Amino acid sequence: MDIKKTCLVSDYMRDTVVTVDEHATFRDALETMIQHHTNGAVVVNQQKKVKGMLSSWDLIEYLVPDYLEKDKHLAAFESADVFMKRIVEIQNDPITKFVTSHVHSIHAKASIMEAATLLSEFKIRQLPVINNEGTLIGYINRTDIKHAMGDVLGIHD
Amino acid sequence: MEIQFLIAIGLFVGTYAIIISEKIHRTIIALAGAMTMVIVGIINQEQAIEGIDFNTLGLLIGMMVIVGIAKDSGLFQYVAITAAKLGKGKTLPIFILLGIITATFSAFLDNVTTVLLLVPVSFVIANNLNINPKPILIAEILLANIGGTATLIGDPPNILIGSASGLTFNDFLVHLAPIAFLVGCVTIGLLVFWYRRELISSKEAAEKIMKFNPRETITDKRLLIKSLIVLGLVLVGFITHNTTHIEGATIALSGAALLLLLTLNDPEEHLREVEWTTIFFFVGLFVLVTGLEHVGAINIMAEKLLAYTGGNETVMTLSILWGSAIFSAVIDNIPYVATMIPLVQEIGALTGIGLAPLWWALALGADIGGNATIVGASANVIVSGMAEKQNQRIGFMEYMKVAMPITFVGLVLCTIYVYFRYLI
Repeated sequence: MDIKKTCLVSDYMRDTVVTVDEHATFRDALETMIQHHTNGAVVVNQQKKVKGMLSSWDLIEYLVPDYLEKDKHLAAFESADVFMKRIVEIQNDPITKFVTSHVHSIHAKASIMEAATLLSEFKIRQLPVINNEGTLIGYINRTDIKHAMGDVLGIHD
Repeated sequence: MEIQFLIAIGLFVGTYAIIISEKIHRTIIALAGAMTMVIVGIINQEQAIEGIDFNTLGLLIGMMVIVGIAKDSGLFQYVAITAAKLGKGKTLPIFILLGIITATFSAFLDNVTTVLLLVPVSFVIANNLNINPKPILIAEILLANIGGTATLIGDPPNILIGSASGLTFNDFLVHLAPIAFLVGCVTIGLLVFWYRRELISSKEAAEKIMKFNPRETITDKRLLIKSLIVLGLVLVGFITHNTTHIEGATIALSGAALLLLLTLNDPEEHLREVEWTTIFFFVGLFVLVTGLEHVGAINIMAEKLLAYTGGNETVMTLSILWGSAIFSAVIDNIPYVATMIPLVQEIGALTGIGLAPLWWALALGADIGGNATIVGASANVIVSGMAEKQNQRIGFMEYMKVAMPITFVGLVLCTIYVYFRYLI
């Protein structure tokens, strides 16, 4: 069995991470997610410091008007063109209006157990990974943790 | 005594000033002001508790619990969607029907609850009609406040007045419902005239609306039946008060208990839904006003009002009507009415005149006056908040341009009504 002795975040994290600038708009965020085939992106400032997380989930929630959220049975009656009208209307809204700004991040030298704990405790799917300066250097998600567990038991794809 | 008097006035004026400024949440400041009244010894705890009108609080809490459970049944959306179909998908009849529904619901439910239930479905109807939702939203604000005037339970100021004056549910129905109905009809008429160019229909829109199936809004048919039974019983309770002498709080809280029993829902959730911030706001106001009463300030104000009006009943009644309207357009009508109630009672004690016309003038002025500005009543603020979230901001002046003249016409009608019915 070839078990990595350390099991650190840096062993399993991905170095390439999709980011969105903190001043981006709804349209920019959507474009980034579609082009990179992803449902999640890390929101960063110019110094690459983590400012928040954005998922396609946040875009969907923002798209649905409040009055429909309050009353799910109303959606069946809503005019079909509201979907298109609403997207055109909100495309230039800044992502700050719906971004998740209280995000957990994890240090590259932290253990996989710590990463797993954060994911399970806060029911989140991925964590931005940062270095000593607090700069974004990668991210780790459920798939990576799954592979780390598989490595321990010798299960590979 | 002199110092106590000044402290009480200072506390009262300071608290109300902060409530009006909206710098601190009104409940926090009302409660803080009230507790200061007790701590500095203007009144003791016993007097403070005596000053709290538990009948008003019980009625409010009971109705909040009942409506909180009933709203999950989809009843209110059902009525609105049915109205859209009844109007054959044509904008003008739908606009009128929504106005009538708002006023009717508001007569039996709290105004804020009414608009919270009707505004979402109105957005959907406006989108289907392909029209600007603003005329409907503004109509709903105006008619929620007018409908609320019609009954004892329609608007918190009425609950306060009913509880303090001993006037019954039927009294309110006989004296206020006719004028509320008239003002409501005229308001709808003026709104239709004002927005005649925006309320246009199209064939495609009508087709979309006619495809609606209102039954889809009913989320829980059994809950709907139970809610209707309890709402009906509560209404019967209020109407038969003259023979049963069961008080408002008992009726509303019994209804709440019965609906909880019938549904066996988790009470925790429904009791949490009670607007406790509103309830504690009332508690704070009651204690503040009790302090003011205790040092004799209300008595002085009543004497001033009597001197200024020369004790003339007509001048006094119409002054209260218009004064209340102007105050309510600027400040929340609940603290205003809470202060006016002991003042009206004091006038009764000083002069021995029949107080009924004064109570009706107070209710009409305070309830309808709130329509004049977008900050005049809670329902206005709630609707403008919901509109803003959909990029349909209702501007202060934009609202006033429509609402001020319509409110003025309504108040003129009230003046004529009060004058001919009570003052000659």
